[in-house]
Amino acid sequence: MTKLTQWLWGLALLGSAWAALTMGALGLELPFPCREVLWPLPAYLLVSAGCYALGTVGYRVATFHDCEDAARELQSQIVEARADLARRGLRF
Amino acid sequence: MATGTDQAVGFGLVAVSLIIFTYYTTWVILLPFIDSQHVIHKYFLPRAYAVLLPLAAGLLLLLFVGLFITYVMLKSQKITKKAQ
Repeated sequence: MTKLTQWLWGLALLGSAWAALTMGALGLELPFPCREVLWPLPAYLLVSAGCYALGTVGYRVATFHDCEDAARELQSQIVEARADLARRGLRF
Repeated sequence: MATGTDQAVGFGLVAVSLIIFTYYTTWVILLPFIDSQHVIHKYFLPRAYAVLLPLAAGLLLLLFVGLFITYVMLKSQKITKKAQ
């Protein structure tokens, strides 16, 4: 089973459980607050997934491993190599 | 290590997502269990908006993504035509 089918199965399962509970197919008499929580649950799931995605991106941006010293070193080496090649008669 | 601006932007994003998550959780999950006369209900929109706002935001996002993709594809088409 691929990851995609796993996710689809999970979502279908959750969705059918949600639909059954919201439509009252099971014949349960849920108290009013529970029903009020139940019907926006898909939207809630979507919003929390979005928040998680945003938070992950933010965290990775904040802790990204820059190598500024290495970049400077590489730049200086490029300049050096260009000067050396130009001295030997290579035109860019 | 990331630079100062990167860190500020990144942790800003994390903070925004956390704020949205806590506000939305209180709104959707906790509010029905709190007495409807309580003061806290003043700080939240009616319940229908809890679904309508994310829906509208998602549609807007899709619209902008679509516009962006059309713009980029049209531009690249023009460039390839010029190159030929």
